Amino acid sequence: MGLTDLMSMAKPNLESREKILRKLRSRDPINCFQCMKCTSGCTALKLLELEPHEIEKLVNFGFVDELAASDIIWTCVTCLKCVQRCPQKASPYHVIMALRNLSVEREAKVPEALMKAVSQILETGLAESYQKVTTRKMETCDRESLKLPKISAPTESFQAIFMKALEER
Amino acid sequence: MPGIGVYVCHCGLNIAGVVDVEKVTEYAAKLPDVAVARHYTYMCSDPGQRMIQEDIKAQKLDRVVIATCSPRMHEETFRKAVAEAGLNPYLLEIVNLREHVSWAHSHERKKATKKAMDLVKMGVARAKLLEPLEKRKVKVERNVLVVGGGIAGMQSALDLANAGFKVYLVEKSPSIGGRMAQLDKTFPTLDCSACILTPKMVDVAKHPNVTLLTNSEVTGVSGFVGNYEVTVTRRPRYVEEAKCVGCELCTQVCPVKVADKFNENLGQTRAICIYSSHAVPKVAIIDPKNCLRLKTKKKEVCGKCLQACEAEAINFEQKPETLKLKVGGVIIAVGSEVFDASKMPEFGYGRFKNVISNIEFERISDASGPTSGKIVSPLTGQAPKTIAFIQCVGSRDKRFHEYCCRVGCMVALKQAILAREKIGEDVRIYVCYIDLRSFGKGYEEFYRRARDLDIDFVDGVPSEIHCAQDGTLYFDVFEKGTNKLIEIRADLVVLANGLVPSGDVTRVNELFHASRSADGFLLEAHPKLRPLESSTAGIFLAGACQGPKDIPDTVAQASGAAAKIVDLLSSGEIELEPLKAFVDKDLCSGCRVCESVCPFLAIEMKPEVVDGEERLRAEVIEALCQGCGACCVACPTGAVRAKHFTDEQVLAQVEAACAVGEN
Repeated sequence: MGLTDLMSMAKPNLESREKILRKLRSRDPINCFQCMKCTSGCTALKLLELEPHEIEKLVNFGFVDELAASDIIWTCVTCLKCVQRCPQKASPYHVIMALRNLSVEREAKVPEALMKAVSQILETGLAESYQKVTTRKMETCDRESLKLPKISAPTESFQAIFMKALEER
Repeated sequence: MPGIGVYVCHCGLNIAGVVDVEKVTEYAAKLPDVAVARHYTYMCSDPGQRMIQEDIKAQKLDRVVIATCSPRMHEETFRKAVAEAGLNPYLLEIVNLREHVSWAHSHERKKATKKAMDLVKMGVARAKLLEPLEKRKVKVERNVLVVGGGIAGMQSALDLANAGFKVYLVEKSPSIGGRMAQLDKTFPTLDCSACILTPKMVDVAKHPNVTLLTNSEVTGVSGFVGNYEVTVTRRPRYVEEAKCVGCELCTQVCPVKVADKFNENLGQTRAICIYSSHAVPKVAIIDPKNCLRLKTKKKEVCGKCLQACEAEAINFEQKPETLKLKVGGVIIAVGSEVFDASKMPEFGYGRFKNVISNIEFERISDASGPTSGKIVSPLTGQAPKTIAFIQCVGSRDKRFHEYCCRVGCMVALKQAILAREKIGEDVRIYVCYIDLRSFGKGYEEFYRRARDLDIDFVDGVPSEIHCAQDGTLYFDVFEKGTNKLIEIRADLVVLANGLVPSGDVTRVNELFHASRSADGFLLEAHPKLRPLESSTAGIFLAGACQGPKDIPDTVAQASGAAAKIVDLLSSGEIELEPLKAFVDKDLCSGCRVCESVCPFLAIEMKPEVVDGEERLRAEVIEALCQGCGACCVACPTGAVRAKHFTDEQVLAQVEAACAVGEN
């Protein structure tokens, strides 16, 4: 009875689906009506083929376990455009974050780049390290050449709080 | 010496953007008998009309030619304008420079201007030969016939009755109420259909101005707008309406079980029964095809109802009755039928008992239905664990009906919500759709409500439905949102059968000469500006007979049609257009060709004695003639002619068109 994905013979897991909805503390995602506006504007779609509307629909059907085990949920760059623009307040961003959390709970491997970002935050207080960029006029600039103020390294108390938060997770 | 005034309209840039209106005006001014020629931005505007009126008075014009949009648009406007200035309104000729020239030839400006000039020349040539005509006033009947006792007919009847008109409401079934009476709840408010309908049914029956004729059909129509004579045939009920108290003692004793039509044949009733639990009138009826006595025509057979009836209402001797009604106007409200899904074998309707139509779902969900409102699979009698709704069955399908049924989406949303509410959280509900259309007031909110209730929307429809040995239905569907081929297994499938024109529409078409559109429904006189009128004067349309409609739209149209009738009949008389055919008796040979081609039955053959010899002569019944001209073309001797479109007038145009012009 019910639904089967004929490509993988997977069945929806409604319990996992409820878990996600509980994590979100909202049932808004079930209001997605597949206008695909999120995917039309998705930054990660252009780079990494993330289709947020598909994630939304798969969750609503109950294919949560497959998603939690997949790499695709880690490609979201958290630009939050979909949160701002979703006409049904059903934004896939929050769904994707809930899926990531579920994935970690299930001890799935977090992609290296993400772990790197965590240590970066610990060291510099920033998710991305300072970089030199080359402009269209082929000039190289950094914060110094642009006369931007220096950013101080995180304080020890921040590091302690951050570490504690990570351990609690 | 009096002359012709020619007025060329720019219609903003609609005409002037393509046609050189100044050149056309200059050309017109030089045509013979033209006294004045002018052009103006909007001839139909107040200053435009005044310009024409002042010229008529000052220059004593005796003909007016206006080169503007289609006469269907503004001929009436300009006729009124010239009449106000003292000129007979039929001495006006309209030349169509918009639909026939600028819109059609927007890419060829020079040629368009040339064509405009030719058309003006033709218009001037015809205008010279126009004759003054007078409208005729006729008295009208203040009674109205409403055909069909569904929500549309009931609403029209009540509005008209409240406005003081006498209404005859003719209904084919034994009870009024129509399709709406079969519904459980109504979208988007989930009002109980019976709760809002039943009081209206009672109001109709009790209204002193309404004569309710159930179990009856219109069998003949003659006459014309304001003065129709309608024949209504009442089929026998074999139960006297005045005596029956609706106690149903007869039904309890009747030994013959028959399928219950009101319940879409999902349950059974008896050969004598009351049509539905809230039937109006609440009077029993005997099904003559199944009643033992009526079938055998033997007095000693059965007769149990006769013995049981304390009111002595049963009368096996009842015969069909014919009534002649005189009415001024008619509202057609015969509704539609539900598409027969067995025409689409891929869905298994009719083969698999648990594939049902949406109207059957209504009966299953209705508290007064065969399951007392418990939603069950007809196969198992148990509440389903999974329900799949399949949308657009018979609709948006070139093999069957190309149009959208306009209610299927909302019906499926409603039924899905009802299933969730009645069966509970555990039932999985899938709606397989092509497009989900929730366009009405409060409808989009209703769609959201369905999504809130955890109903799964599957973007795609199955190609075929299969049935497993245990009766489980299963189908594959490619889901656009997930890009996956999925399989759905369900123990109940509900098909969103569309609405299709009923057989009654065909009969109405024949009886009332009301045209039909390509989709088979009755055709409105104009899709935007005259949506309530049929193509025949005095015949109005309400509800789903004109096209698929939900209840709010139906009621709005029904009230609108009633208001139209009030407008038509309230003054007690109407004006008839003088554009009719007439017969030159001396030329008529009595060959009857005109009679055979007239679509309005407006030709009467009358015997006449000429030189001691009896001969037939054609005569036009003016009130019926619509001035279509079919007879004039068909007449071999040229005896039948159309006023305002005489051979002389038309040939003058042709000659002007063919003359070698200097422009």
